[in-house]
Amino acid sequence: MHEIINIFVKSIFVDNMVFAYFLGMCSYLAVSKTVDTSVGLGAAVIFVLGITVPVNYLLNEYILKAGALSWLDPAFAKVDLSFLSFIIFIAIIAAIVQLVEMVVEKFSPSLYNSLGIFLPLIAVNCAILGGSLFMQERDYQSIGQATAFGLGSGVGWFLAIVAIAAIREKIRYSNVPPALRGIGITFILTGLMGIAFMSFLGIKL
Amino acid sequence: MKALRKFLDKQKPHFQPGGKFEKLESSFEAFETFLYVPDKVTQSGAHIRDAVDMKRTMSFVIIGVIPTLLFGMWNVGYQHFLSFGQHPDILTNFLYGLGKVLPIIIVSYGVGLGIEFLFAQIRHHEVNEGYLVTGILIPLIVPPDIPLWELAVAVAFAVIFGKEVFGGTGMNVFNPALTARAFLFFAYPGNMSGEKVWIADKLDSFSGATPLGQALVGNFHNFPSPHDMFFGFIPGSVGETSTFLILIGGLFLLITGVASWRIMLSVFAGGLAMGWIFNLVGANQYMQLPAWEHMIMGGFAFGAVFMATDPVTSAQTTKGKYYYGFLIGMLAILIRVFNPAYPEGMMLAILLMNVFAPLIDHIIVKSNIKKRLKRAKMMLAE
Repeated sequence: MHEIINIFVKSIFVDNMVFAYFLGMCSYLAVSKTVDTSVGLGAAVIFVLGITVPVNYLLNEYILKAGALSWLDPAFAKVDLSFLSFIIFIAIIAAIVQLVEMVVEKFSPSLYNSLGIFLPLIAVNCAILGGSLFMQERDYQSIGQATAFGLGSGVGWFLAIVAIAAIREKIRYSNVPPALRGIGITFILTGLMGIAFMSFLGIKL
Repeated sequence: MKALRKFLDKQKPHFQPGGKFEKLESSFEAFETFLYVPDKVTQSGAHIRDAVDMKRTMSFVIIGVIPTLLFGMWNVGYQHFLSFGQHPDILTNFLYGLGKVLPIIIVSYGVGLGIEFLFAQIRHHEVNEGYLVTGILIPLIVPPDIPLWELAVAVAFAVIFGKEVFGGTGMNVFNPALTARAFLFFAYPGNMSGEKVWIADKLDSFSGATPLGQALVGNFHNFPSPHDMFFGFIPGSVGETSTFLILIGGLFLLITGVASWRIMLSVFAGGLAMGWIFNLVGANQYMQLPAWEHMIMGGFAFGAVFMATDPVTSAQTTKGKYYYGFLIGMLAILIRVFNPAYPEGMMLAILLMNVFAPLIDHIIVKSNIKKRLKRAKMMLAE
Protein backbone atom coordinates (compact mmCIF):
# COMPACT_ATOMS: atom_id res chain seq x y z
CA MET A 1 0.00 0.00 0.00
CA HIS A 2 2.78 2.36 0.97
CA GLU A 3 4.51 1.64 -2.31
CA ILE A 4 1.33 2.36 -4.28
CA ILE A 5 0.85 5.78 -2.66
CA ASN A 6 4.52 6.48 -3.26
CA ILE A 7 4.19 5.67 -6.96
CA PHE A 8 1.03 7.74 -7.27
CA VAL A 9 2.50 10.87 -5.69
CA LYS A 10 5.79 10.45 -7.48
CA SER A 11 4.18 10.18 -10.89
CA ILE A 12 2.15 13.33 -10.27
CA PHE A 13 4.93 15.61 -9.10
CA VAL A 14 8.39 14.14 -9.46
CA ASP A 15 8.06 12.27 -12.76
CA ASN A 16 5.53 14.66 -14.20
CA MET A 17 4.78 13.69 -17.80
CA VAL A 18 4.99 17.25 -19.05
CA PHE A 19 7.63 18.90 -16.90
CA ALA A 20 9.99 15.98 -16.36
CA TYR A 21 9.70 14.16 -19.70
CA PHE A 22 8.02 16.74 -21.98
CA LEU A 23 5.58 14.14 -23.26
CA GLY A 24 2.18 14.89 -24.71
CA MET A 25 3.26 18.33 -25.80
CA CYS A 26 1.12 18.58 -28.92
CA SER A 27 -2.25 18.59 -27.23
CA TYR A 28 -0.75 20.33 -24.19
CA LEU A 29 0.22 23.28 -26.39
CA ALA A 30 -2.82 23.25 -28.65
CA VAL A 31 -5.72 22.83 -26.23
CA SER A 32 -4.45 24.99 -23.38
CA LYS A 33 -6.01 28.24 -24.55
CA THR A 34 -8.84 28.19 -22.00
CA VAL A 35 -9.16 26.48 -18.65
CA ASP A 36 -12.52 24.88 -19.42
CA THR A 37 -11.43 22.88 -22.46
CA SER A 38 -8.15 21.95 -20.83
CA VAL A 39 -10.03 20.54 -17.84
CA GLY A 40 -12.00 18.38 -20.29
CA LEU A 41 -8.94 17.14 -22.12
CA GLY A 42 -7.05 16.62 -18.87
CA ALA A 43 -9.89 14.51 -17.50
CA ALA A 44 -9.93 12.48 -20.71
CA VAL A 45 -6.20 11.86 -20.37
CA ILE A 46 -6.57 10.75 -16.74
CA PHE A 47 -9.32 8.38 -17.80
CA VAL A 48 -7.44 6.94 -20.76
CA LEU A 49 -4.16 6.56 -18.86
CA GLY A 50 -5.98 5.06 -15.88
CA ILE A 51 -7.44 2.34 -18.12
CA THR A 52 -4.76 1.71 -20.73
CA VAL A 53 -1.84 1.32 -18.33
CA PRO A 54 -3.37 -1.52 -16.27
CA VAL A 55 -4.78 -3.20 -19.39
CA ASN A 56 -1.40 -3.03 -21.06
CA TYR A 57 0.17 -4.21 -17.83
CA LEU A 58 -1.91 -7.38 -17.97
CA LEU A 59 -1.05 -7.89 -21.62
CA ASN A 60 2.60 -7.35 -20.92
CA GLU A 61 2.58 -9.65 -17.94
CA TYR A 62 0.70 -12.56 -19.53
CA ILE A 63 1.48 -12.32 -23.23
CA LEU A 64 4.35 -10.06 -24.19
CA LYS A 65 7.07 -10.47 -21.60
CA ALA A 66 9.83 -13.02 -22.05
CA GLY A 67 8.41 -16.29 -20.78
CA ALA A 68 5.04 -14.71 -20.08
CA LEU A 69 3.21 -17.33 -22.08
CA SER A 70 4.32 -20.20 -19.89
CA TRP A 71 0.90 -20.16 -18.17
CA LEU A 72 -0.48 -21.64 -21.43
CA ASP A 73 2.05 -24.37 -21.80
CA PRO A 74 5.52 -24.81 -20.29
CA ALA A 75 6.80 -25.22 -23.84
CA PHE A 76 6.26 -21.50 -24.41
CA ALA A 77 8.65 -20.55 -21.64
CA LYS A 78 11.28 -19.39 -24.12
CA VAL A 79 8.93 -17.25 -26.23
CA ASP A 80 9.55 -13.53 -26.03
CA LEU A 81 6.92 -11.40 -27.73
CA SER A 82 8.07 -8.05 -26.39
CA PHE A 83 8.94 -6.90 -29.93
CA LEU A 84 5.16 -6.68 -30.41
CA SER A 85 4.60 -4.34 -27.49
CA PHE A 86 4.52 -1.12 -29.51
CA ILE A 87 1.85 -2.33 -31.88
CA ILE A 88 -0.23 -4.01 -29.20
CA PHE A 89 -0.08 -1.03 -26.85
CA ILE A 90 -1.06 1.37 -29.61
CA ALA A 91 -3.95 -0.84 -30.69
CA ILE A 92 -5.28 -1.03 -27.14
CA ILE A 93 -4.92 2.72 -26.70
CA ALA A 94 -6.69 3.45 -29.98
CA ALA A 95 -9.57 1.16 -29.05
CA ILE A 96 -10.01 2.73 -25.63
CA VAL A 97 -9.83 6.25 -27.01
CA GLN A 98 -12.64 5.32 -29.42
CA LEU A 99 -14.62 4.22 -26.43
CA VAL A 100 -13.99 7.46 -24.56
CA GLU A 101 -14.94 9.44 -27.63
CA MET A 102 -18.27 7.68 -27.89
CA VAL A 103 -18.98 8.15 -24.20
CA VAL A 104 -18.12 11.86 -24.31
CA GLU A 105 -20.18 12.42 -27.44
CA LYS A 106 -23.17 10.77 -25.85
CA PHE A 107 -23.03 12.47 -22.46
CA SER A 108 -21.43 15.85 -23.09
CA PRO A 109 -21.83 17.12 -26.66
CA SER A 110 -20.50 20.56 -25.69
CA LEU A 111 -17.27 19.10 -24.37
CA TYR A 112 -17.11 16.90 -27.44
CA ASN A 113 -17.35 19.94 -29.67
CA SER A 114 -14.80 21.97 -27.78
CA LEU A 115 -12.28 19.13 -27.71
CA GLY A 116 -12.75 18.75 -31.45
CA ILE A 117 -10.00 16.90 -33.22
CA PHE A 118 -7.94 16.47 -30.07
CA LEU A 119 -9.98 13.70 -28.56
CA PRO A 120 -9.16 11.22 -31.34
CA LEU A 121 -5.65 12.62 -31.19
CA ILE A 122 -5.28 11.35 -27.63
CA ALA A 123 -4.69 8.03 -29.36
CA VAL A 124 -1.38 9.34 -30.61
CA ASN A 125 -0.68 11.48 -27.54
CA CYS A 126 2.85 10.54 -26.55
CA ALA A 127 1.96 10.80 -22.86
CA ILE A 128 -0.45 7.88 -23.24
CA LEU A 129 1.92 5.56 -25.08
CA GLY A 130 4.71 6.87 -22.86
CA GLY A 131 2.73 5.80 -19.81
CA SER A 132 2.46 2.24 -21.09
CA LEU A 133 6.11 2.09 -22.12
CA PHE A 134 7.31 3.51 -18.80
CA MET A 135 5.15 0.91 -17.09
CA GLN A 136 6.92 -1.80 -19.06
CA GLU A 137 10.36 -0.35 -18.54
CA ARG A 138 10.00 0.25 -14.81
CA ASP A 139 8.68 -3.22 -14.32
CA TYR A 140 5.94 -2.57 -11.78
CA GLN A 141 5.24 -5.47 -9.47
CA SER A 142 1.44 -5.55 -9.36
CA ILE A 143 -1.56 -4.29 -11.23
CA GLY A 144 -2.24 -1.93 -8.33
CA GLN A 145 1.09 -0.25 -8.85
CA ALA A 146 0.49 -0.01 -12.59
CA THR A 147 -2.92 1.58 -12.04
CA ALA A 148 -1.50 4.03 -9.51
CA PHE A 149 1.18 4.96 -12.00
CA GLY A 150 -1.34 5.44 -14.82
CA LEU A 151 -3.71 7.53 -12.74
CA GLY A 152 -0.87 9.54 -11.21
CA SER A 153 0.64 10.35 -14.59
CA GLY A 154 -2.80 11.40 -15.78
CA VAL A 155 -3.32 13.67 -12.79
CA GLY A 156 0.12 15.17 -13.31
CA TRP A 157 -0.66 15.88 -16.94
CA PHE A 158 -4.04 17.32 -15.94
CA LEU A 159 -2.42 19.67 -13.41
CA ALA A 160 0.11 20.80 -15.99
CA ILE A 161 -2.39 21.60 -18.71
CA VAL A 162 -4.84 23.31 -16.36
CA ALA A 163 -2.08 25.42 -14.81
CA ILE A 164 -0.75 26.55 -18.17
CA ALA A 165 -4.26 27.26 -19.43
CA ALA A 166 -4.87 29.57 -16.45
CA ILE A 167 -1.53 31.29 -17.07
CA ARG A 168 -2.33 31.70 -20.75
CA GLU A 169 -5.66 33.25 -19.86
CA LYS A 170 -3.81 35.65 -17.60
CA ILE A 171 -1.07 36.62 -20.07
CA ARG A 172 -3.67 37.50 -22.64
CA TYR A 173 -3.29 40.98 -21.14
CA SER A 174 0.49 40.91 -21.37
CA ASN A 175 2.39 42.73 -24.03
CA VAL A 176 4.22 39.74 -25.51
CA PRO A 177 6.48 40.51 -28.48
CA PRO A 178 4.51 39.69 -31.64
CA ALA A 179 6.95 37.02 -32.79
CA LEU A 180 6.47 35.07 -29.57
CA ARG A 181 2.70 35.25 -29.28
CA GLY A 182 0.87 31.95 -29.07
CA ILE A 183 3.01 28.85 -29.15
CA GLY A 184 6.36 30.61 -28.62
CA ILE A 185 5.50 32.11 -25.26
CA THR A 186 3.85 28.85 -24.26
CA PHE A 187 7.13 27.00 -24.79
CA ILE A 188 8.97 29.56 -22.68
CA LEU A 189 6.31 29.28 -20.00
CA THR A 190 6.55 25.51 -20.01
CA GLY A 191 10.29 25.73 -19.47
CA LEU A 192 9.87 28.11 -16.55
CA MET A 193 7.17 25.89 -15.07
CA GLY A 194 9.56 22.99 -15.45
CA ILE A 195 12.06 24.89 -13.28
CA ALA A 196 9.40 25.39 -10.64
CA PHE A 197 8.45 21.71 -10.76
CA MET A 198 12.06 20.73 -10.17
CA SER A 199 11.36 21.52 -6.52
CA PHE A 200 10.03 17.99 -6.25
CA LEU A 201 13.03 16.38 -7.84
CA GLY A 202 14.60 13.95 -5.44
CA ILE A 203 11.72 13.73 -2.95
CA LYS A 204 11.42 10.28 -1.46
CA LEU A 205 8.36 9.26 0.47
CA MET B 1 16.09 71.81 -8.10
CA LYS B 2 14.66 74.50 -10.35
CA ALA B 3 17.78 74.40 -12.50
CA LEU B 4 17.41 70.65 -12.93
CA ARG B 5 13.80 71.03 -13.99
CA LYS B 6 14.78 73.72 -16.45
CA PHE B 7 17.54 71.57 -17.86
CA LEU B 8 15.13 68.68 -18.34
CA ASP B 9 12.56 70.90 -20.01
CA LYS B 10 15.21 72.21 -22.34
CA GLN B 11 16.34 68.75 -23.33
CA LYS B 12 12.86 67.36 -23.71
CA PRO B 13 12.18 68.46 -27.32
CA HIS B 14 15.23 66.52 -28.52
CA PHE B 15 13.63 63.35 -27.30
CA GLN B 16 10.15 63.97 -28.59
CA PRO B 17 9.06 62.60 -32.00
CA GLY B 18 10.95 64.52 -34.65
CA GLY B 19 13.76 65.44 -32.30
CA LYS B 20 17.39 64.45 -32.54
CA PHE B 21 17.17 61.52 -30.14
CA GLU B 22 13.60 60.40 -30.65
CA LYS B 23 14.70 56.76 -30.48
CA LEU B 24 15.83 57.29 -26.91
CA GLU B 25 12.55 58.79 -25.76
CA SER B 26 11.81 56.14 -23.18
CA SER B 27 15.24 56.45 -21.58
CA PHE B 28 14.70 60.16 -21.15
CA GLU B 29 11.24 59.57 -19.80
CA ALA B 30 12.64 57.09 -17.28
CA PHE B 31 15.11 59.59 -15.87
CA GLU B 32 12.59 62.39 -15.86
CA THR B 33 9.95 60.49 -13.96
CA PHE B 34 12.58 59.11 -11.64
CA LEU B 35 13.29 62.66 -10.54
CA TYR B 36 9.84 64.23 -10.81
CA VAL B 37 6.26 63.13 -10.55
CA PRO B 38 5.07 62.80 -14.15
CA ASP B 39 2.75 65.55 -15.32
CA LYS B 40 0.76 63.31 -17.62
CA VAL B 41 -2.99 63.48 -17.12
CA THR B 42 -5.34 60.84 -18.40
CA GLN B 43 -7.83 62.12 -20.94
CA SER B 44 -10.72 59.73 -20.50
CA GLY B 45 -12.07 56.98 -18.32
CA ALA B 46 -11.97 56.75 -14.57
CA HIS B 47 -9.58 59.04 -12.71
CA ILE B 48 -7.99 58.34 -9.40
CA ARG B 49 -5.95 61.12 -7.90
CA ASP B 50 -3.14 59.71 -5.84
CA ALA B 51 0.43 60.69 -5.14
CA VAL B 52 1.44 57.04 -5.29
CA ASP B 53 2.52 55.65 -8.61
CA MET B 54 4.57 52.62 -9.48
CA LYS B 55 7.89 54.33 -8.84
CA ARG B 56 6.87 55.38 -5.33
CA THR B 57 5.53 51.90 -4.57
CA MET B 58 8.77 50.35 -5.69
CA SER B 59 10.86 52.77 -3.66
CA PHE B 60 8.86 51.83 -0.55
CA VAL B 61 9.90 48.23 -1.04
CA ILE B 62 13.51 49.30 -1.39
CA ILE B 63 13.26 51.25 1.87
CA GLY B 64 11.77 48.13 3.39
CA VAL B 65 14.75 45.95 2.51
CA ILE B 66 17.44 48.46 3.49
CA PRO B 67 17.65 47.36 7.15
CA THR B 68 18.18 43.73 6.13
CA LEU B 69 20.66 44.78 3.46
CA LEU B 70 22.79 46.77 5.90
CA PHE B 71 22.63 44.07 8.51
CA GLY B 72 23.43 41.47 5.86
CA MET B 73 26.58 43.34 4.90
CA TRP B 74 27.65 43.44 8.50
CA ASN B 75 26.87 39.77 8.95
CA VAL B 76 28.96 38.77 5.94
CA GLY B 77 31.94 40.40 7.60
CA TYR B 78 31.03 39.03 11.03
CA GLN B 79 30.82 35.44 9.77
CA HIS B 80 34.04 35.84 7.85
CA PHE B 81 36.06 37.07 10.80
CA LEU B 82 34.34 34.62 13.12
CA SER B 83 35.74 31.81 11.01
CA PHE B 84 39.23 33.01 11.93
CA GLY B 85 38.18 33.40 15.54
CA GLN B 86 38.43 37.17 15.33
CA HIS B 87 35.97 39.72 16.64
CA PRO B 88 36.74 43.09 15.07
CA ASP B 89 34.57 46.16 15.60
CA ILE B 90 31.33 46.80 13.75
CA LEU B 91 32.85 49.03 11.10
CA THR B 92 35.48 46.49 10.02
CA ASN B 93 32.81 43.82 9.72
CA PHE B 94 30.60 46.13 7.78
CA LEU B 95 33.28 47.31 5.41
CA TYR B 96 34.35 43.76 4.65
CA GLY B 97 30.73 42.87 3.89
CA LEU B 98 30.30 46.00 1.82
CA GLY B 99 33.26 44.97 -0.29
CA LYS B 100 31.61 41.60 -0.90
CA VAL B 101 28.04 42.75 -1.46
CA LEU B 102 28.50 46.00 -3.36
CA PRO B 103 29.90 44.34 -6.52
CA ILE B 104 26.91 41.99 -6.51
CA ILE B 105 24.51 44.92 -6.32
CA ILE B 106 26.35 46.78 -9.07
CA VAL B 107 26.35 43.76 -11.40
CA SER B 108 22.72 43.03 -10.67
CA TYR B 109 21.60 46.58 -11.41
CA GLY B 110 23.99 47.08 -14.29
CA VAL B 111 23.02 43.98 -16.22
CA GLY B 112 19.31 44.10 -15.36
CA LEU B 113 18.78 47.77 -16.05
CA GLY B 114 20.90 47.57 -19.19
CA ILE B 115 18.62 44.90 -20.62
CA GLU B 116 15.58 46.76 -19.40
CA PHE B 117 16.64 49.97 -21.19
CA LEU B 118 17.54 48.06 -24.32
CA PHE B 119 14.13 46.44 -24.47
CA ALA B 120 12.41 49.74 -23.79
CA GLN B 121 14.20 51.36 -26.74
CA ILE B 122 13.55 48.50 -29.12
CA ARG B 123 9.94 47.99 -28.16
CA HIS B 124 9.18 51.67 -27.62
CA HIS B 125 7.64 51.32 -24.22
CA GLU B 126 8.52 53.17 -21.06
CA VAL B 127 11.33 51.88 -18.91
CA ASN B 128 9.63 49.94 -16.17
CA GLU B 129 10.49 50.56 -12.56
CA GLY B 130 9.99 46.97 -11.53
CA TYR B 131 13.63 46.16 -11.88
CA LEU B 132 14.61 48.61 -9.17
CA VAL B 133 13.13 46.19 -6.65
CA THR B 134 14.22 42.99 -8.40
CA GLY B 135 17.73 44.36 -8.65
CA ILE B 136 18.01 44.84 -4.92
CA LEU B 137 16.28 41.56 -4.05
CA ILE B 138 18.67 39.46 -6.12
CA PRO B 139 21.80 40.42 -4.12
CA LEU B 140 19.88 39.60 -0.94
CA ILE B 141 19.11 36.02 -1.91
CA VAL B 142 22.39 34.89 -3.42
CA PRO B 143 25.42 33.64 -1.50
CA PRO B 144 27.89 36.46 -0.88
CA ASP B 145 30.74 34.69 -2.67
CA ILE B 146 28.95 34.02 -5.93
CA PRO B 147 31.11 34.53 -9.04
CA LEU B 148 29.93 37.73 -10.65
CA TRP B 149 29.73 36.34 -14.18
CA GLU B 150 27.33 33.65 -13.01
CA LEU B 151 25.22 36.32 -11.41
CA ALA B 152 25.24 38.33 -14.62
CA VAL B 153 24.07 35.33 -16.66
CA ALA B 154 21.32 34.57 -14.17
CA VAL B 155 20.13 38.17 -14.08
CA ALA B 156 20.07 38.31 -17.87
CA PHE B 157 18.07 35.07 -18.00
CA ALA B 158 15.61 36.25 -15.37
CA VAL B 159 15.04 39.65 -16.93
CA ILE B 160 14.69 38.40 -20.49
CA PHE B 161 12.83 35.14 -20.01
CA GLY B 162 11.17 35.88 -16.72
CA LYS B 163 9.94 39.33 -17.59
CA GLU B 164 10.68 41.01 -20.90
CA VAL B 165 9.18 38.26 -23.07
CA PHE B 166 5.91 38.91 -21.25
CA GLY B 167 6.09 42.63 -21.88
CA GLY B 168 7.84 43.91 -18.78
CA THR B 169 6.81 44.88 -15.27
CA GLY B 170 3.34 43.90 -14.23
CA MET B 171 2.88 41.32 -16.95
CA ASN B 172 5.20 38.57 -15.83
CA VAL B 173 4.08 35.28 -14.36
CA PHE B 174 7.16 34.35 -12.35
CA ASN B 175 8.95 36.47 -9.80
CA PRO B 176 12.11 37.58 -11.68
CA ALA B 177 14.32 37.62 -8.59
CA LEU B 178 13.38 34.05 -7.77
CA THR B 179 13.79 33.06 -11.40
CA ALA B 180 17.37 34.33 -11.22
CA ARG B 181 17.94 32.41 -8.00
CA ALA B 182 16.43 29.22 -9.41
CA PHE B 183 18.48 29.58 -12.58
CA LEU B 184 21.67 29.83 -10.52
CA PHE B 185 20.57 26.92 -8.42
CA PHE B 186 20.07 24.58 -11.35
CA ALA B 187 22.71 25.92 -13.73
CA TYR B 188 25.61 26.09 -11.28
CA PRO B 189 24.68 23.66 -8.55
CA GLY B 190 28.30 23.33 -7.46
CA ASN B 191 28.32 26.84 -6.12
CA MET B 192 24.79 26.95 -4.87
CA SER B 193 23.91 23.72 -3.14
CA GLY B 194 25.36 21.41 -0.61
CA GLU B 195 26.11 22.43 2.90
CA LYS B 196 28.87 24.84 2.04
CA VAL B 197 26.54 27.17 0.21
CA TRP B 198 26.28 30.16 2.34
CA ILE B 199 29.70 30.74 3.79
CA ALA B 200 31.16 34.12 3.10
CA ASP B 201 34.50 32.87 1.87
CA LYS B 202 34.91 29.40 0.50
CA LEU B 203 38.68 29.50 0.69
CA ASP B 204 38.91 29.58 4.44
CA SER B 205 38.67 26.39 6.34
CA PHE B 206 35.56 27.43 8.20
CA SER B 207 32.86 24.79 8.02
CA GLY B 208 30.00 27.14 8.76
CA ALA B 209 27.04 25.38 7.24
CA THR B 210 23.68 27.07 7.51
CA PRO B 211 21.21 25.75 10.06
CA LEU B 212 19.20 24.32 7.18
CA GLY B 213 22.19 22.47 5.81
CA GLN B 214 22.92 21.11 9.26
CA ALA B 215 19.36 20.04 9.85
CA LEU B 216 19.19 18.22 6.56
CA VAL B 217 22.18 16.02 7.31
CA GLY B 218 20.80 15.46 10.80
CA ASN B 219 23.48 17.42 12.61
CA PHE B 220 21.69 18.94 15.55
CA HIS B 221 24.64 19.47 17.87
CA ASN B 222 25.91 22.99 18.13
CA PHE B 223 22.76 24.11 16.35
CA PRO B 224 22.53 27.91 16.63
CA SER B 225 20.29 29.20 19.40
CA PRO B 226 16.85 30.57 18.47
CA HIS B 227 18.05 33.95 19.61
CA ASP B 228 20.89 33.92 17.09
CA MET B 229 18.64 32.69 14.33
CA PHE B 230 16.00 35.32 15.05
CA PHE B 231 18.41 38.22 15.08
CA GLY B 232 20.47 36.75 12.29
CA PHE B 233 23.96 36.01 13.63
CA ILE B 234 24.14 32.92 11.45
CA PRO B 235 25.66 32.12 8.07
CA GLY B 236 23.24 32.62 5.23
CA SER B 237 22.39 34.62 2.16
CA VAL B 238 22.98 38.33 2.55
CA GLY B 239 19.43 39.35 3.29
CA GLU B 240 17.74 36.34 4.78
CA THR B 241 19.45 35.79 8.11
CA SER B 242 17.84 38.37 10.35
CA THR B 243 14.17 37.53 10.82
CA PHE B 244 13.86 40.49 13.17
CA LEU B 245 14.87 43.11 10.60
CA ILE B 246 12.84 41.39 7.90
CA LEU B 247 9.79 41.70 10.10
CA ILE B 248 10.51 45.39 10.62
CA GLY B 249 10.73 45.81 6.85
CA GLY B 250 7.52 43.82 6.51
CA LEU B 251 5.78 46.05 9.04
CA PHE B 252 6.83 49.06 7.01
CA LEU B 253 5.38 47.50 3.86
CA LEU B 254 2.14 46.72 5.65
CA ILE B 255 1.78 50.24 7.06
CA THR B 256 2.37 51.82 3.67
CA GLY B 257 -0.06 49.34 2.15
CA VAL B 258 2.41 48.04 -0.40
CA ALA B 259 2.34 44.38 0.57
CA SER B 260 -0.67 42.21 1.27
CA TRP B 261 -1.06 41.20 4.92
CA ARG B 262 -3.24 38.30 3.83
CA ILE B 263 -0.39 36.64 1.99
CA MET B 264 2.17 37.26 4.72
CA LEU B 265 -0.11 35.96 7.42
CA SER B 266 -1.13 32.88 5.51
CA VAL B 267 2.43 31.98 4.54
CA PHE B 268 3.40 31.89 8.20
CA ALA B 269 0.21 30.04 9.07
CA GLY B 270 0.90 27.47 6.37
CA GLY B 271 4.46 26.97 7.54
CA LEU B 272 3.39 26.57 11.16
CA ALA B 273 0.62 24.14 10.23
CA MET B 274 2.99 21.95 8.25
CA GLY B 275 5.57 22.15 11.03
CA TRP B 276 2.98 20.98 13.54
CA ILE B 277 1.89 18.13 11.31
CA PHE B 278 5.51 17.00 11.13
CA ASN B 279 5.81 17.36 14.90
CA LEU B 280 2.85 15.02 15.28
CA VAL B 281 4.40 12.49 12.91
CA GLY B 282 7.84 12.98 14.41
CA ALA B 283 9.46 10.26 12.33
CA ASN B 284 12.94 11.75 12.49
CA GLN B 285 14.84 14.45 14.27
CA TYR B 286 14.17 17.03 11.56
CA MET B 287 10.43 16.48 11.87
CA GLN B 288 10.63 16.99 15.61
CA LEU B 289 12.10 20.45 15.19
CA PRO B 290 9.63 22.89 16.75
CA ALA B 291 7.37 24.38 14.09
CA TRP B 292 8.19 27.96 15.01
CA GLU B 293 11.90 27.36 14.53
CA HIS B 294 11.26 26.81 10.83
CA MET B 295 10.00 30.39 10.66
CA ILE B 296 13.34 31.86 11.71
CA MET B 297 15.55 29.49 9.73
CA GLY B 298 16.81 30.13 6.23
CA GLY B 299 14.85 32.27 3.84
CA PHE B 300 11.37 31.56 5.16
CA ALA B 301 10.67 35.01 6.61
CA PHE B 302 12.37 36.76 3.73
CA GLY B 303 10.33 34.85 1.20
CA ALA B 304 7.10 35.43 3.10
CA VAL B 305 7.62 39.18 3.44
CA PHE B 306 9.35 40.24 0.24
CA MET B 307 8.87 37.48 -2.30
CA ALA B 308 5.46 35.94 -1.82
CA THR B 309 3.80 39.35 -1.56
CA ASP B 310 4.93 40.45 -5.02
CA PRO B 311 1.65 41.95 -6.26
CA VAL B 312 2.20 40.84 -9.85
CA THR B 313 2.93 37.16 -9.51
CA SER B 314 0.79 36.35 -6.48
CA ALA B 315 -2.90 35.51 -6.54
CA GLN B 316 -5.03 38.56 -7.23
CA THR B 317 -8.31 37.61 -5.59
CA THR B 318 -8.82 38.25 -1.89
CA LYS B 319 -9.72 34.69 -1.06
CA GLY B 320 -7.12 33.37 -3.44
CA LYS B 321 -4.39 35.17 -1.49
CA TYR B 322 -5.10 33.05 1.59
CA TYR B 323 -4.84 29.80 -0.34
CA TYR B 324 -1.78 31.03 -2.21
CA GLY B 325 0.08 31.99 0.95
CA PHE B 326 -0.96 28.95 2.92
CA LEU B 327 0.20 26.58 0.21
CA ILE B 328 3.55 28.39 -0.06
CA GLY B 329 4.14 27.97 3.65
CA MET B 330 3.20 24.29 3.62
CA LEU B 331 5.21 23.45 0.51
CA ALA B 332 8.30 25.29 1.75
CA ILE B 333 8.46 23.20 4.92
CA LEU B 334 7.54 20.05 3.01
CA ILE B 335 10.40 20.52 0.55
CA ARG B 336 12.82 21.35 3.35
CA VAL B 337 12.10 18.23 5.31
CA PHE B 338 11.37 15.72 2.56
CA ASN B 339 13.66 16.69 -0.26
CA PRO B 340 17.26 15.74 0.38
CA ALA B 341 18.37 17.64 -2.71
CA TYR B 342 17.34 21.09 -1.51
CA PRO B 343 18.05 22.39 1.96
CA GLU B 344 15.85 25.42 1.32
CA GLY B 345 12.32 25.06 0.00
CA MET B 346 11.10 28.63 0.14
CA MET B 347 12.30 29.76 -3.27
CA LEU B 348 10.91 26.77 -5.13
CA ALA B 349 7.68 26.80 -3.15
CA ILE B 350 7.01 30.38 -4.19
CA LEU B 351 7.93 29.69 -7.80
CA LEU B 352 5.65 26.69 -7.81
CA MET B 353 2.77 28.69 -6.43
CA ASN B 354 3.47 31.38 -9.04
CA VAL B 355 2.63 28.64 -11.53
CA PHE B 356 -0.65 27.91 -9.83
CA ALA B 357 -1.68 31.44 -8.78
CA PRO B 358 -3.63 32.12 -12.00
CA LEU B 359 -5.42 28.80 -11.54
CA ILE B 360 -6.35 29.67 -7.96
CA ASP B 361 -7.73 33.00 -9.18
CA HIS B 362 -9.63 31.28 -11.93
CA ILE B 363 -11.28 28.86 -9.51
CA ILE B 364 -12.18 31.63 -7.05
CA VAL B 365 -13.68 33.81 -9.76
CA LYS B 366 -15.64 30.89 -11.19
CA SER B 367 -17.01 29.96 -7.76
CA ASN B 368 -17.99 33.57 -7.10
CA ILE B 369 -19.87 33.68 -10.37
CA LYS B 370 -21.64 30.48 -9.49
CA LYS B 371 -22.56 31.72 -6.02
CA ARG B 372 -23.95 34.98 -7.34
CA LEU B 373 -25.93 33.28 -10.08
CA LYS B 374 -27.46 31.04 -7.47
CA ARG B 375 -28.31 34.02 -5.30
CA ALA B 376 -29.84 35.85 -8.24
CA LYS B 377 -31.90 32.82 -9.13
CA MET B 378 -33.16 32.53 -5.57
CA MET B 379 -34.13 36.18 -5.58
CA LEU B 380 -35.96 35.70 -8.85
CA ALA B 381 -37.80 32.71 -7.48
CA GLU B 382 -39.04 34.61 -4.44
